[in-house]
Amino acid sequence: MNKQDHQITGRLHSIESMGLVDGPGIRTIFFLQGCPLRCLYCHNPDTQNPEGGKIVTPSDILKLAKRYKPYQGDDGGVTFSGGEPLIHGEFLAESVKLLKENDFNICIDTSGYGQKKYYKEIFPYVDTILLDIKAFSEQAYLDMCSVQQKPLNDFMNELENYGFHGQIWVRHVMVPGYTDNKKSMQELIKTIEPIQHLVERLEILPYHTMGIDKYKELNMPYLLENVEPMDKEKAKEFEVYANVLLAEQMSKDRIDLKEKQDVGSSALESNVSLEEHNKIIGSFSNLPLLQHINSDILADIQHNLVVKKLEKDEILFQSGDDPNYMYIIYAGAIKIFNILPNLKEQIFYIYRKDSFVGGHNLLSDSKYWYTGEALMDSIVIAIPAKIFNTYFANKKSVLKEILSQSFERIRWAEDLINRLATINSSVKTAGLILRLAENFGIKKNDQIQIPMKFDRAEMSNFSGLTRDSLTRKLGEFEELGYIRIENEILTILNFDALESYLD
Amino acid sequence: MSNNFTEERKKAWQGFKPGNWSETIDTRDFIQQNYEPYTGTDSFLAEPTENTKLLWNKVSEMIQDEVRNKTVTVDLSRFSGIDKFDAGYIDKDKELIVGLQTDKPMKRMMNPYGGFRMVKGSLKAYNLEIDPKMEEHFTEFRKTHNDGVFDAYTDEMRTVRSVGLLTGLPDAYGRGRIIGDYRRVTLYGIDYLIQERIQDKKNLTGDATEDVIRKREEFSEQIRALQAMKSMAAKYGFDIGRPAYNAQEAIQWLYFGYLAAIKENNGAAMSLGKNTTFLDIYIQRDLDNGTLNEKEAQELIDQFVIKLRMVRHLRTPEYDELFAGDPTWVTESIGGMGEDGRTLVTKTAFRFLHTLTNLDTSPEPNMTVLWSNDLPRGFKDYCAKMSIQTDSIQYENDDLLRPIYGDDCAIACCVSAMQVGKQMQFFGARANLGKALLYALNGCIDEIKKDKQGNLIQVFDDIEKNTEEILTYDKVVADFKKVMDKLANIYVNTMNTIHYMHDKYAYEAGQMALHDPEVHPFMAFGIAGISIVADSLSAIKYAKVRPIRDENGITVDFEIEGDFPKFGNDDDRVDSIAQNVSQYFMDALRKTPAYRNAEHTLSLLTITSNVTYGKKTGATPDGRKKGEPFAPGANPMHGRDESGALASLNSVAKLKYQGCCQDGISNTFSIIPSSLGKNSEERVNNLVNILDGYFKQDAFHINVNVLERALLIDAMNHPEKYPNLTIRVSGYAVRFNQLDREQQEDVIARTFHESL
Repeated sequence: MNKQDHQITGRLHSIESMGLVDGPGIRTIFFLQGCPLRCLYCHNPDTQNPEGGKIVTPSDILKLAKRYKPYQGDDGGVTFSGGEPLIHGEFLAESVKLLKENDFNICIDTSGYGQKKYYKEIFPYVDTILLDIKAFSEQAYLDMCSVQQKPLNDFMNELENYGFHGQIWVRHVMVPGYTDNKKSMQELIKTIEPIQHLVERLEILPYHTMGIDKYKELNMPYLLENVEPMDKEKAKEFEVYANVLLAEQMSKDRIDLKEKQDVGSSALESNVSLEEHNKIIGSFSNLPLLQHINSDILADIQHNLVVKKLEKDEILFQSGDDPNYMYIIYAGAIKIFNILPNLKEQIFYIYRKDSFVGGHNLLSDSKYWYTGEALMDSIVIAIPAKIFNTYFANKKSVLKEILSQSFERIRWAEDLINRLATINSSVKTAGLILRLAENFGIKKNDQIQIPMKFDRAEMSNFSGLTRDSLTRKLGEFEELGYIRIENEILTILNFDALESYLD
Repeated sequence: MSNNFTEERKKAWQGFKPGNWSETIDTRDFIQQNYEPYTGTDSFLAEPTENTKLLWNKVSEMIQDEVRNKTVTVDLSRFSGIDKFDAGYIDKDKELIVGLQTDKPMKRMMNPYGGFRMVKGSLKAYNLEIDPKMEEHFTEFRKTHNDGVFDAYTDEMRTVRSVGLLTGLPDAYGRGRIIGDYRRVTLYGIDYLIQERIQDKKNLTGDATEDVIRKREEFSEQIRALQAMKSMAAKYGFDIGRPAYNAQEAIQWLYFGYLAAIKENNGAAMSLGKNTTFLDIYIQRDLDNGTLNEKEAQELIDQFVIKLRMVRHLRTPEYDELFAGDPTWVTESIGGMGEDGRTLVTKTAFRFLHTLTNLDTSPEPNMTVLWSNDLPRGFKDYCAKMSIQTDSIQYENDDLLRPIYGDDCAIACCVSAMQVGKQMQFFGARANLGKALLYALNGCIDEIKKDKQGNLIQVFDDIEKNTEEILTYDKVVADFKKVMDKLANIYVNTMNTIHYMHDKYAYEAGQMALHDPEVHPFMAFGIAGISIVADSLSAIKYAKVRPIRDENGITVDFEIEGDFPKFGNDDDRVDSIAQNVSQYFMDALRKTPAYRNAEHTLSLLTITSNVTYGKKTGATPDGRKKGEPFAPGANPMHGRDESGALASLNSVAKLKYQGCCQDGISNTFSIIPSSLGKNSEERVNNLVNILDGYFKQDAFHINVNVLERALLIDAMNHPEKYPNLTIRVSGYAVRFNQLDREQQEDVIARTFHESL
């Protein structure tokens, strides 16, 4: 192959330099040419043919995108739409990589059908997916789009395995007579269950007829000829309904997950042979933590210590448990994590051989608010509370060790906070509002009102969101009828809906 | 000076930090020493008081009456002047800020000094008649600006004017676009200003050359004008000889200064300057010492703005055709940043914009926000919110203005910047470059206009008719440059004639008295049709353009084969043509010296005259048909921007301000609300980001409209439903109902950015 054959190209149908509704903020939208779906209501039939459009390279895309960078603010960027952008796998992979290197926020507007083999090169760079859910059953998909639904389900199930760690805006075009009913909304929420923890926004787009003229120009039949445009107000009502359903479903799943994990906490018992027990305890006195503990004492207490073998994934303690032991990891690794409101498991620390956990809880007599689970087959030594308090808690060397470990963990936590900034903004916004309500809320006529003493910039710092995302979310919550902002007073109209984001 | 002088100053300036301003006239220094920047949100703003509401309802009713019945009242008993009318009131007991142009609200004056024909024509249009004795005496004993100009016009000047190559020239009415530093009346009082001007005149020593004689005469006129101001204010019971003591007086004094200007002159644009930071110092002092509360502060601003909305001049129907909707361009420049990095935004900037809420939307005063990337976010958000709600704000790039004009500059009319009290401009309307391009093809024979005998009109000599079957770019550009050279020369000479005569016969003594003795003048030229010219040359360069010629060899239409880049798509191939043409024309203008050594400047601004220019211009090589409107200002032609709004903004942003189009580049941006964002919070955010992005690229100006096209169509068909619907057009805001049908259709046809 000569050099030219290596040139990666895509087909560009057109550009919208000011996309304000296709992804967060102000976005440059690249409409790529070609689509495997044939949706009855498609309003861009001119983008369906895979042979049309203008041939462009990823660096052409970058050059164009840079022209609009000054407008993009905190969370605007570039959106690839179409047609179906994922059918240009190689081109898209190269383009998103190049754009990310140049610090663009990237959004892909897709139906979930494309060239799978490039997904692992594409999705790690994608910040937001606009995922178009067309229908809710195999038959409905065939009828509406002439494709099967299964590839979409696979797409949703596999998405995180492709390296996607962004957020999703789910969108559904509502056509009168097709999905303008509550049952369909319930099916929609069921359909998106595999990705629900990533959903940042759920939109119902009312079907419109503004694309019909294009069919005439292209000499194509228009099969929804007799269908009226969807009433915008009604579509909005369904949108609110679907959003509440989604929040409820997520909340329910969280509770289920917790219950499943509740195996009850009881006294630990050693599960190793006595020989093994003694051998382990014997080597245990070399730990830095125990250097200043008298060997006589160690000998006295060694039978009060518990040596426990854990299999991979076995739980050592969990959120809500009383502090009964301090654990020292003898072999293997223990992960400390929590389940976040968005159903994501958030790992705080991983402890390996010779580290300890639980000392702070014993000292302050506070319950665990996280769960400890074996990351691999492991062995831990558990020091019961009574022993800890009698022999360890009054030793300077022990306290010093616990303190210095605390310092390290704070460092960790600070780092974690930065990383946490990537979780779902609905949850953060709901959390922020509820926190403000707790601290500043005034009860008035059965509603909670929060005087807005903070400006948006302060609120966004507080919540860990960008200013633009927070503003967008507040607007969306207002639209959904959860809150009202008027004269610098935020009124909570639907407390339950906000709470359902958090439990 | 009176014995009280020191006492009065002490009282007036109590609590102010002294500086150079307390030694000599230096308003900027006073502001810098004493203002408090405000970086918060709009949450402090107060609602209108009952008195304000009552007053405004009354005035609003009078305004609607005028619009509905298309009638005006005129004082037929006297001519205009600073001190020619008795005091007038709307409802005396309720008014906190007083003063009307005549003795009755909405009653207009006859101002004949620009040209008597203008007065007669206007009266005739409204079926009114002047006392024949007054007419006889005036025309017998007094020569007007218009008379003077036509005495000195050459035949060629008359021709370029009558074919519509130069249009809207201020040769028959007041030139306007001069901003007095009205703040000086407040800060110093008239007596001190008189005293200083007497001294200025004394300092003018040396031989009595023409230049020195003229200056001495002007100073004397200015002194008389100041005396007239004082006497006019006395009729309302105020002594503005002394400086103002409190916020109410501060606004009242300032308004008397401005009122004198609009009693004396009927310039097209009678702008107010940049006053909110200045006034905020007085308001804040009263708030701090407890003599004023927020509601009262807002009441003062509201009532001031009511007065500004009542400014009226007597205009002819032809004038209204050019500048639709009876605009007066009471332009107030708001915000911006100081040279020291502190924002000039104060709470009074918010209070001023808040009148659009308290008193409904309105085209006047012409709310002009000086936008800087560094403006406080709270103010940016508030401006965006008000733009979305009222379509009544224009924005100009403070980061471009400041390095050239400093931080005490204001906008006159739509986009013309000047240092307040230190610079002025000689307004010069605009040249129709669309037509000039056709002259390059037609050997400078006008493509439409014939003389009285029906003969072709040859406007310039020495340029051959183009006879090419397919137009070639190099040939057309070479001939176009020759036309521009000739046009530029006659344009400067025509302007010199006009402004010489204006100084002589319609001198703005009152406004010039509120300037420094030495004033730097700009001579402001303009271009209409920049996007037509750019697209036409692009078509010739990148497509095949075949002219269709009539029996005289004059082009009547063009056949275009193939596609070509169009201005408004962020395509350098054509955007560079627009830049090069404007730079070439600017350079050509500079070759002819301007009257009073004025500095040549250039604007890309049409106001609503883009419709009229279109009517007078034949078909152009870009595919525009004969008579079709031009795009307004520097806007791309509607329907030709195919890549969305930001591509269109980027194209306009490439036009160079500093050193080229330094009298302003006007751009009007209309978008439907649902395309700007899903909800109101998002819309505000997005609009702020759009403005930031546009101005960061050194763009100069933008009008923002956020409204539905369907709403405008409904308003066109049912005007009674939308009495106050205001929209931004090129450089000003207008009550939609006051546009004629053709202009309304043009506005509706223009690109509304929407996405599906």
